[in-house]
Amino acid sequence: MKKVLYIELENCIGCRSCLAACTQCGGHEERNRNYVIDVNPFVDRQTMPMMCLHCENPPCARSCPVQAIQVHETGAVLSAMTEKCLGCQNCTIACPYGIPKFDVEQNLMYKCDLCIDRTKDGIPPMCASVCPTDTLQWVTEEELAVKKSQFRLSNGMMASMEDPYLENKTNVHVSLPGILEGKEKLF
Amino acid sequence: MLGDKALKDVPKNVIHPNEELIKTHCSYCGMQCGMNLRVNTKTNKIIGVEPRYEWPVTEGKMCPKGVTAYQQTNHKDRLLKPLIRDDASKKGTKEGFREASWEEALDLIVKNFKSLQGEYGEDTVSVFSGVSMTNEKCYLTGKFARVALKTKYIDYNGRFCMASAAGGSLRSLGVDRGSSLPWTDLHQTDCLFIAGSNTAECHPTSMYRVWEVQNRGGYLIVVDPRETPIARRADLHLDLRPGTDLALANCMVHLLIKNGHIDEEFINQHTNGFEETKELVELFTPEYTSEITGVSPEKLIRAAEIYGKAPNAIVMFARGVEQQSKGVDNVSSYINMALVTGKIGRPKAGVATFTGQGNGQGGREHGQKSDLLPGYRKITNPQHVKEVCEVWGITPEEMPGPGVSAYELFELMDKKEIRGMYLLCSNPAVSAPNLNFVRNAMKNLDFMVCSDFYLSESAEFADVVLPTTTWSEDEGTVTNLEGRIIKINQAQKPIGESKTDWEIQIEIAKRYGKGKYFEHLKTAKDIADEFRLATKGGNADYSGATWEKIEEQNGVFWPCNEENVNGTPHMFLDKKFYHPDGKAKICALPYRPPAEEPDEIYPLRLTTGRVVYHYLSGNQTRRIPFLKDMCPEPYVEIHPELAVKYQIEHDELIRLYTRRGEATYKVKITEAIRKDTVFVPYHFGHKESINLLTNAALDPMSRMPEFKVCAAQIEKL
Repeated sequence: MKKVLYIELENCIGCRSCLAACTQCGGHEERNRNYVIDVNPFVDRQTMPMMCLHCENPPCARSCPVQAIQVHETGAVLSAMTEKCLGCQNCTIACPYGIPKFDVEQNLMYKCDLCIDRTKDGIPPMCASVCPTDTLQWVTEEELAVKKSQFRLSNGMMASMEDPYLENKTNVHVSLPGILEGKEKLF
Repeated sequence: MLGDKALKDVPKNVIHPNEELIKTHCSYCGMQCGMNLRVNTKTNKIIGVEPRYEWPVTEGKMCPKGVTAYQQTNHKDRLLKPLIRDDASKKGTKEGFREASWEEALDLIVKNFKSLQGEYGEDTVSVFSGVSMTNEKCYLTGKFARVALKTKYIDYNGRFCMASAAGGSLRSLGVDRGSSLPWTDLHQTDCLFIAGSNTAECHPTSMYRVWEVQNRGGYLIVVDPRETPIARRADLHLDLRPGTDLALANCMVHLLIKNGHIDEEFINQHTNGFEETKELVELFTPEYTSEITGVSPEKLIRAAEIYGKAPNAIVMFARGVEQQSKGVDNVSSYINMALVTGKIGRPKAGVATFTGQGNGQGGREHGQKSDLLPGYRKITNPQHVKEVCEVWGITPEEMPGPGVSAYELFELMDKKEIRGMYLLCSNPAVSAPNLNFVRNAMKNLDFMVCSDFYLSESAEFADVVLPTTTWSEDEGTVTNLEGRIIKINQAQKPIGESKTDWEIQIEIAKRYGKGKYFEHLKTAKDIADEFRLATKGGNADYSGATWEKIEEQNGVFWPCNEENVNGTPHMFLDKKFYHPDGKAKICALPYRPPAEEPDEIYPLRLTTGRVVYHYLSGNQTRRIPFLKDMCPEPYVEIHPELAVKYQIEHDELIRLYTRRGEATYKVKITEAIRKDTVFVPYHFGHKESINLLTNAALDPMSRMPEFKVCAAQIEKL
């Protein structure tokens, strides 16, 4: 059954376990490719993960002059092929979320590949495997549909970050904070 | 993602070429998250971690400490050989150590301990232990102290951690199992009432269950002076002044009674003490309680209403309420909520403490505490002593009497009543309160041994340092925060010349001429078998919890004996509590303020705690590059309005001081703290230790120091 990465920003506690786990993935050269932001550190403890959303029509790949960034059949947008990457950094500028990073020493771009050596076999990526809060979840399309139907803000806006998409159509799906606003309480 | 559903669809693991996975658990907190250690089959070295998806408590989840825990084993700072320091004037520093053979180190230890004991009596040598190690080691340490060293002075770092929870549970319920129900119930309850637990940072892998309660439409109530990451999303955050929990809990009981949310049948049949408690809590109206706690009456009323109406609810607490000079009373007063409403002794309802150390539960049950013997037996009970003596092969006359608590050991060192110390699995030079006093007491010891796998801040006071193993180089059982006995497996042979603590103790015992009590213990499994026998018939009965059963059942909840062959996941299902009459005790507990209240000279309240990146004294986590990068140094959290008052800014260095000590910290401005309170994390050593400032006022029952509140002042530099 195909599963997708789904992000529920409301749940994040800023533990950065996803970063530590990212370094553990076989192809990641012990370097994390995801990030966590303190949203407003002087005010409260809200944090949010910055993950590659694996766009269906990815600006990083489109901006690459040598097609070093490939899209896997699962939809994962892979890190640059080392033999092709020129180090031009177009992708780091093109990405609306700032995900591709540039390694000056190696003259090479690197980014999240959705742990392709795991997800190609249906095994959840490291970040979602360890996430202690279910901020990062590896869910089926059906589970995703249930989430989408549930999480709507009281002002009519969807808490789901799609349709209309803020940027591109993506393979990773996000619920913005506010998912509990319309929640009917048990008692 | 939760519980049974997930278990039907457990993901596979990735196994890389030339690697194997060893199933085990994390080395750190009481959650004891399941993990697989990745071992290179060519070098036989641990090289990484892989989630353990099938472990029912945590389902592959790990916090950043857990993910990087494997980096401890082959760390460059590992001690590989025994160290001896001949020049005692260098005590308190890292200087003056030389490498030595095990023969020389052990002979020196026995020579010095024996000479001290010959001159000053057997009790002049003390054992200070810890509970971040297996039940087998904890058990053997108790036996080692009493049978080999023959000292009554043994105690352990749980006095700084779980002692108040233990005391409160014993008084209220007659038994001290940290949680009355399995963690897999948490997300299925209707209301979580969590007091003094920064769950998101201290027990992060509980969080997906906590959020699920809210996702199902249930309620989360958090009691904490700070808006921690769990409080941020709570339905209700009761932002009390540190040290005022007892008033708040009494108010909850007051309101539960007033609103008719009590279960009279349960109270009549299964409890004692209701009438006097009812009378006592009458005083604690929301208005009166608000004056003490600083929490608005409206919030108090709403909290009691939610807890009272919830079909099922779980009251949970942690060090925030327990590390106070009235920690035991705080615990009992929160347990009162469950007892007056009858919300205990059934699935999805009960009480639980968040155990801090990996084996905080098991380690306190089996004889490392000054007054306890294996199976939660009392050393002051002649029948209990007799039962343990039979297993140990000594006579009751040979059993030393009760000693004193952890902090009091340092007081006796100061008075020269104790002149030697064998320290293992603990780092009191960072984790004890009132550190100027404690460090001085250690420095003035005639002879001190420290067993650790890194040169900790406490090892700097030792004459001999013994290189021990990490959790990944030995096997044995641990009892997690649910009361579930689980199995730690060896993933790598001990590096260098390091030895397990149980091997070291047996070696010393032999040199002490006590070999016959220890020599039959050749493996951790041998100790496990003797240990299970020693617990038989005690409250914490592990006699039926064989390693095989633990493996088959994904852990075994104690008690596990002939009556409960498969263990006891839910306690009190028969509504029988562990007091002689089978009833629980509802406790009438008058409020008393913290030992030190703010005044003109020290107008602020100082509280301390953890961050998600570090564990306890930080001796392990401060050496892990990822964790160090994320939190390299301590800081002081200050509300912006307080910062304006003192004219200090974010990132500015300030001097923080109390009656006991001072330190310099970088300011972290945040609105997520009360305006009258400052917070500093306690994981740091030397001049950075906040415990230089904390108050050693002890709880009269648990002897827990009051880490969580004292009076402080700030000075702009």
